[in-house]
Amino acid sequence: MTELTLTQKFTLIALNAQRSLEMTNAKKVSLRCMAAAVILEVYLDSGFAQDNNKLVLKKDVLNQSHTIRYRETIIQPLNHTIGDLSGWLKQASLLSKRKLIKFEHVISESLKEMSLLEEIPHILGCDLYFHSSGVEIKGYRSHIQEYTTITEHIRAEILEDGTVTDETICMLWLLRESGCMHDFFSRNELEQLSTRMYQLYQANPLAKALYRIRIHRGIELAIKQFLRMKKVAVKTPVGSGLNFLFPILERSQSVFIDTEAMFSNSRTRLHDVRMRLESKGHAVKVLGDGTIPTIKIDNIIYEAIPHATYGRVPIHGVRLLPIHPS
Amino acid sequence: MSRQRTMETILASEFVSIGELVRLTESRYSTLKFYTEEGMLPFEQAEENLTRKYIRLATVARIHLIKELKSNGLTIPQIKEALDKDE
Repeated sequence: MTELTLTQKFTLIALNAQRSLEMTNAKKVSLRCMAAAVILEVYLDSGFAQDNNKLVLKKDVLNQSHTIRYRETIIQPLNHTIGDLSGWLKQASLLSKRKLIKFEHVISESLKEMSLLEEIPHILGCDLYFHSSGVEIKGYRSHIQEYTTITEHIRAEILEDGTVTDETICMLWLLRESGCMHDFFSRNELEQLSTRMYQLYQANPLAKALYRIRIHRGIELAIKQFLRMKKVAVKTPVGSGLNFLFPILERSQSVFIDTEAMFSNSRTRLHDVRMRLESKGHAVKVLGDGTIPTIKIDNIIYEAIPHATYGRVPIHGVRLLPIHPS
Repeated sequence: MSRQRTMETILASEFVSIGELVRLTESRYSTLKFYTEEGMLPFEQAEENLTRKYIRLATVARIHLIKELKSNGLTIPQIKEALDKDE
């Protein structure tokens, strides 16, 4: 089993189900946080020396960075007299679009070589309007078992009593800043998480330094929320001074898949939808049967709701709606 | 600083945490938590609010056995019964 670095683990979460050829708003947010993950990774590996409240990058990190190419693409362009951790994280997350694309290319290629990431037709390509217009949309898919292991490990560590490792402290901050918390934690768990993060903030020096730093741009998350008609879902004031808000960034898609015929039977309807998805290279697993089946497509769980669109003629099919832990 | 243990270190340890069991057995956290709460996975805990520790070899073997029994179509009460007999 390969030991993955913090950046590689976070990348598998952040790039999963994102469009690979276009720079979407959601991908931009992910790339910014992935760049910040590189800084945290170097920080955890003692790559910085403390000098009068400033963090100075050790020379050997720069010299050795060519061995880990994705680190080099982030570290090289930065001004190396930035200041504290907050300054480093903010500057890394504010790198130009061109540099972020280069970074995406380098890290995605390395993960593809390890067979942990692949490019497949994006699920949006299965939608009636995209499918019938011949538009090809590609997306990333993280290795399903590895993705589950990473996310479940984070959940296990933070939701259980006991010590929380530095990697998990960093990962929680990255998930918060990229608006992904709601993909992995239910509302009840988010409340529990908020309490735990506040305890860490009070007791752990890394959490104390990190959790007050914000790199997400409200405007990006706000635009996305407006477009998706969703609002900040959980707002948990814990004590005074620090308010843990978990912004939400909807990264999954609502997709309408037309069926070949109007099936009265939910099984045949589901079979038809499954065929379409599998023909496009998606891994489909039926988790729950019934009129509205629950299906896992790649790493995301959807409800398949019978639906029809009406134009000149009605088109019957299924609308796939992503479901989050509730 | 408390760093995550490498797989090599985990495989050399007598005791593991539930998070490490997730990695070792590729199971979901909620599943392992449920098994623990049902008394199917014995653990040690020095004090309340401290990490629950599981004996690595015995617990991994038990999780694999539970998975096997589940794939054979047994229900949770039946699996618990089988595990009790096994002890």
